[in-house]
Amino acid sequence: MAAAIELIDLTKMYGARRGLAGLSMTVRVGEVFGFLGPNGAGKTTTIRLLLDLIRPTSGTVRVLGRAARRDAIEVHRRVGYLPGDFAVDGRQRAGECLAFLAALRGGVPADRIRELADRFDLDLRARIKSLSKGNRQKVGLVQAFMHDPELLILDEPTSGLDPLVQQTFLDLVGEAKRAGRTVFMSSHIMSEVEAVADRVAIVRDGRLVALDTVADLRDRSFLRVAIGFAGPAPAAEFAALPGVTDLAVDGSTMSFRLDSSPDSVVKAAARHTVTSLRTETQDLEDLFHTFYTGGGDTAAADR
Amino acid sequence: MTTSTPSPATTAPGRVAGGSLGGAFNGSVFTRTLWDNRRSLLVWAVAAGLLALVYASFYPQVSADSMANVPEAMRGFGFEDTSTAAGYLRGAVFGLLVPLLVTFYGAATGARTISTDEESGYLDLLLAHPISRTRLLLHRYAALAAGAILIAAAVFAAMLAVRNSADLDSIAVSGFAAQTLNVALLGLLFGAVATGIGAAFGRSRGAVFGSTAGLGVLAYALHGLAPQIGAEWLRYLTPYHYYIDHQPLINGVNGGDIAVLASCATVAVAAGVWRLNQRDLRR
Ligand SMILES: Nc1ncnc2c1ncn2[C@@H]1O[C@H](COP(=O)(O)OP(=O)(O)OP(=O)(O)O)[C@@H](O)[C@H]1O
Ligand SMILES: [Mg+2]
Repeated sequence: MAAAIELIDLTKMYGARRGLAGLSMTVRVGEVFGFLGPNGAGKTTTIRLLLDLIRPTSGTVRVLGRAARRDAIEVHRRVGYLPGDFAVDGRQRAGECLAFLAALRGGVPADRIRELADRFDLDLRARIKSLSKGNRQKVGLVQAFMHDPELLILDEPTSGLDPLVQQTFLDLVGEAKRAGRTVFMSSHIMSEVEAVADRVAIVRDGRLVALDTVADLRDRSFLRVAIGFAGPAPAAEFAALPGVTDLAVDGSTMSFRLDSSPDSVVKAAARHTVTSLRTETQDLEDLFHTFYTGGGDTAAADR
Repeated sequence: MTTSTPSPATTAPGRVAGGSLGGAFNGSVFTRTLWDNRRSLLVWAVAAGLLALVYASFYPQVSADSMANVPEAMRGFGFEDTSTAAGYLRGAVFGLLVPLLVTFYGAATGARTISTDEESGYLDLLLAHPISRTRLLLHRYAALAAGAILIAAAVFAAMLAVRNSADLDSIAVSGFAAQTLNVALLGLLFGAVATGIGAAFGRSRGAVFGSTAGLGVLAYALHGLAPQIGAEWLRYLTPYHYYIDHQPLINGVNGGDIAVLASCATVAVAAGVWRLNQRDLRR
């Protein structure tokens, strides 16, 4: 399938500061793609590279099959963009501002703008500077969606939105996907993209640490196991078992992380007197946090 | 945008968002910029016109007083001769108030070309649209230029308004036209300098305004003081030399001066465009 976004070994240095360190990934046409990572991971850097607002130190950026820089005008025509810090001229009215941005694109049906504004409950006559942060964000969302672009690039689209408006946004993303559009959106929170995203990439320190479908990421979750023994905990025996890591002993109780099937652990435990047994499954949010903090470092970056 | 064709995703032409959403001036970045800046532009033009009007109409009193000797230190600033209309106007009106005003107009408006929006983050959004950096900058600068012409026109109109009542009819209308043309060019030049600095370095609006206005004041002082420190040649390095030293009120249009001012402005804008296309946008 064709690529909506293709990044090859993308590096961006800000002087001596690292923005991105060799990021490679592909976003397919027609998918909703969640781009996650902690503060300073390089999400905004990646997005601004896609739009030719900044230039890479090295590596390749291709958007909709075109070079981000050489074909910038064409790419921009086909893309809808919501910046992370959405700002417009505060002196303009919302409708005026949207009409101007539409005119830059050669025009958008006025009805389309009105329809989107209605759905977000946005007053088009209000002066931008009089709008609250969330209402200003709505202007940003309307301008990103209004020309029905092939690719939507959204930097933290839900920041500042109340749950009701977030739902409206998710509906729009769903509609865009059904219409065959591609959506690339960054976020800090897994649960925010979980519901709509086909695939999710997690970046940290300018690098890709995971890229997978939400379902497969969930499959990667592991068990946290705690076993109490009648005698001293046989730590050495368990540490050698496949899939056991993070092993800790507290008197006669032993806890560890288990990534593989529990079979060998159960069989090993059966040779001892077990006084207690407790297991916990990690949910997606926990898993995400291990990626966040540097735990799960085996990136399935090749998909 | 006049040149951009609708994206494949937009629907039939003719159903274009426009006046109904309050965007009568959305035809281009040029008209949009002028409209967004309409209030401050009006203030600049009215202030320049009124100042020129008021000071020019003082001339009959000043010449009647046969003017006590102007201090030696003020010689270079053009205040030495108040006995003729041209000499008087060259001092107070066209030698001080109007050129400094238009210098500040250029610095303030030029800082808006790129810097204000880069500081706020609006530039990110604009340049993610199908418009090149060059085109955006040139449209914004064209709006600045239109504003400078409007200010000069206000000064010109003010001069014509008091020409008879204030005994200024020894100066030909073409003389006023030539001098106010240079007013516009001076605004264009400092506007170009501020635009160039903002586009090239991505500094804050305040820094761009400050450095341009500072340069202007420094050049103005240098132009005025050069004769007293025995270095007349230093005047040639300042735009104010080309703006007034050939006495356009008396001698009319000077093609060489126009060429110098216009080409310096062009160089500043071109350098800004070039750097802006190379560099990263700040945020
Ligand atoms: N203009 C800049 N100059 C210097 N360093 C920068 C600049 N922009 C970004 N950085 C650095 O690059 C790294 C990545 O920043 P980026 O804004 O891309 O992160 P992010 O993932 O978007 O973070 P957040 O979730 O906080 O928005 C950070 O360490 C940041 O400090
Ligand atoms: Mg960010």
